[in-house]
Amino acid sequence: MRKTLLLPTLLLLGVCAGGFWLSTGSKSDHHAIVFCQQGQIHTLDPAKMTYLQDIRVAEGLWEGLAQYAPHTLTPIPGVAKSWSISKNKLVYTFHLKRNASWSNGHRVTSGDFVFEWRRVLQPHTGSGYVFLYFHIAGARQYFNSIAAHPHHHLPFSTVGIKAPNRRTLIVTLNHPCVYFLDLMAFPPFFPLDRQAMRQFRVRYHGVVGYNPVWTRPPYLISDGAYQLTDWRFHQFLELKPNPYYDQRSQVHCPWLKIVNYDDATAAFLAYRTRVINVLGFIPGPLGPALVKQEASGRRDDVHITPVFGTMFLNLNCQKGVLKNRLVREALDLAINRHALVAHVVRMPVVPLHVLVPPHTIRGYESPHGMGFNPERARKLLKQAGYPRGRGIKPLRYLVVAGYPITSRLAEAIGAMWRKTLGVRIEINSEEGKIFHQDCVHGDFAVAGEGWYGDYPDPTTWLDLFIGGNPNNMSHYQSRCYDHLLHLAAYESNAHDRFTLLHRAEADLVDKAFPAIPLYQMADGMIYNRAKIGGIRPDFRSITLLKYIHRR
Amino acid sequence: MIKFICKRIAQSVLVMWMVYTCTFWLLMATPGDPFVGQKQPPPAVIAALKARYGLNDPWQAYWRYPVDVLVHGDLGPTISYSNWSVAAVIKNTLPVSMALGALALLFAMWLGVGAGVLGAMMKGRWLDHTLTIGSLAAISIPNFIIGSVLLILFAVNSTVLPSGGWGSFQQLILPAATLGLAYWAILAMLMRESTENVLKADYIRTARAKGGSPLRVMSVHAAPNASLPIMAFLGPAAAGILTGSFVVEKLFAIPGMGNVFVNACLNKDIPLVLGITMVYTVILIVMNMLADIACAMADPRVAINA
Repeated sequence: MRKTLLLPTLLLLGVCAGGFWLSTGSKSDHHAIVFCQQGQIHTLDPAKMTYLQDIRVAEGLWEGLAQYAPHTLTPIPGVAKSWSISKNKLVYTFHLKRNASWSNGHRVTSGDFVFEWRRVLQPHTGSGYVFLYFHIAGARQYFNSIAAHPHHHLPFSTVGIKAPNRRTLIVTLNHPCVYFLDLMAFPPFFPLDRQAMRQFRVRYHGVVGYNPVWTRPPYLISDGAYQLTDWRFHQFLELKPNPYYDQRSQVHCPWLKIVNYDDATAAFLAYRTRVINVLGFIPGPLGPALVKQEASGRRDDVHITPVFGTMFLNLNCQKGVLKNRLVREALDLAINRHALVAHVVRMPVVPLHVLVPPHTIRGYESPHGMGFNPERARKLLKQAGYPRGRGIKPLRYLVVAGYPITSRLAEAIGAMWRKTLGVRIEINSEEGKIFHQDCVHGDFAVAGEGWYGDYPDPTTWLDLFIGGNPNNMSHYQSRCYDHLLHLAAYESNAHDRFTLLHRAEADLVDKAFPAIPLYQMADGMIYNRAKIGGIRPDFRSITLLKYIHRR
Repeated sequence: MIKFICKRIAQSVLVMWMVYTCTFWLLMATPGDPFVGQKQPPPAVIAALKARYGLNDPWQAYWRYPVDVLVHGDLGPTISYSNWSVAAVIKNTLPVSMALGALALLFAMWLGVGAGVLGAMMKGRWLDHTLTIGSLAAISIPNFIIGSVLLILFAVNSTVLPSGGWGSFQQLILPAATLGLAYWAILAMLMRESTENVLKADYIRTARAKGGSPLRVMSVHAAPNASLPIMAFLGPAAAGILTGSFVVEKLFAIPGMGNVFVNACLNKDIPLVLGITMVYTVILIVMNMLADIACAMADPRVAINA
């Protein structure tokens, strides 16, 4: 028997030892701060990133023309030492620092910004945030011309991005954009070292692109607080201070290890067993219990705050019974948000009747929105021709599989609608890709959605409902609404602009009801403040890794 | 032997083509768009990406992947992890799954064979019943429950072992035990059955009549022959266990291929699913062939050409 099993035993031992040796490093990480994020890193190409976990890492690796101030998150000088804005607020002139450097020692120049911004504006780069560039004069036309005629498109000189010398960058906008400086601290506007990128240029099936190996160490060159020294797929990223960073004295963490867990409970266990120092999210299934423990004083490492994100329901305005505005309003009035938050969500989230979380944008006043009013909801449904819900087929309510909270919300909301209005729903739990495809194609009646704001302006939500926006999942179309947002885009007076946006939001939440806001989301971190300093959960969930350190 | 291997390789090419064809068209038939996500890019970006991955025309894509592999030796770029090629993803995750799977199988094989022999020797006694009930439980209970119980026992209630992750040998123990337990149970039952049959054979009676001790009869005469079905089972089992397990990898945060494969299917990452499927097919074919050769070497009655 020993002989019979000897061969497989030796084979298996060899495979085990070989596989283990190939897949692990020999480094001990006792001195590293281990920061855990939920979900795997999708890309380290700043042009392509849309996921929070990617953006957090990018904010540590790169620095744009501006950076976020640690406490207020307002834009402060980054690679640009200063900037000037023309009187009509259309021309931004950025003056770059002399000593801003890449992690390979090269100087950061305005040409590096032009190189990367031009790359973002090419459709085959695949930038999910390319629409943010459309504030720049000529950018939309340039992008569309490449999409229509890849080989005979408009020249890049038609775009309002100019680098008259190595230290100056001039950007001309189509219309005033009050949050343009915020965008300068956002990854899709970060620069790339064009000299270093030259060696990765490849032609793939007729399209010029860059070999993705440039995003991996030792090839990834960054200009921020850290440089990437190791990246093991689905294991960890290792960040060490960038020796050429001009604000090197502000970086106190000699070794930052970023791990990404798919399973929230596994991540929490790893935190409990001290494999992880900072858990960068609140594990969904354990959230209510952790909040309870924190409130009762049994633990002091849970830090939760309401964030710049809204959970809402998209109502399909182009299909079936929900084309009728009265039905949509009735559904909105029949939801008791306070009961949902208290009994279903059980987290410190804020019930909402508006889309833009109130008091998160200075100077912007939210409309009132509609409250819980079952009597009026019943009347409206009767007025629409569906007394007690008669004649309404069960509504197809989509939720994303793998997020139990969305299913629980759907069940609770379905019960409220059934009890108050006699309207039934049919819950369809779908995988993410199928869910989004069905939303894009309008194959639903109600779809749950959570949306995080990208920049501190109401338009980060309100633009979603513009006709033709690819993210307009409720397929809402209103010339009046589009016109209001168009007027706001060209309004240079901040107060008047906010008044227009207030009217636009009021249109959505008081009159048209393409979406039903539910609550302002909350998120946070779990870490011991006595041991880790320099970070704190912020309302935009950005987490500036630059300032993290051991106490 | 060489003729056998050549014949198997020729058959394998056909098998691989069929697997590729079925996988490709099944993927095409599934709903979902790989380029659609929570934040929708403009339609021009989606169109450019589809053109880049050759997904505008399914027939073009169907022929393009094999040509890329055969002509350029390139499995292509992934869709969901755009910084990594399919080959790089496999290169990084396959060793992890293989290391974990090999340890799990090693544990399952030795303990399974031992338990099977013991069960056959003690047939009808309490130890045999305990082992049978234990094996049935290990097969019936899903491994996420077994894993969770092990986590509670060894990582939560007492911090004897780490709860997961990858990098040290200790981190391997709990996932390997979870993964290996079901295989242990199958091997134990197979071995018990096989040993029981062998013990009834004439040559065992002869060995006993010649005065061989029970231990010698078992280890020298019965067990080697009884372990032949184990060899046949180990081939496909190894292919399955070495290429990763979604549940165990997710539960213990193991950066292996099983988790990546399931996520690739959910994200409709066509190049990645095709790449991993083909690697799995190759491993399965090689393992089956090795199992056949090993069986023939261990037992002269098995003719390899048969």
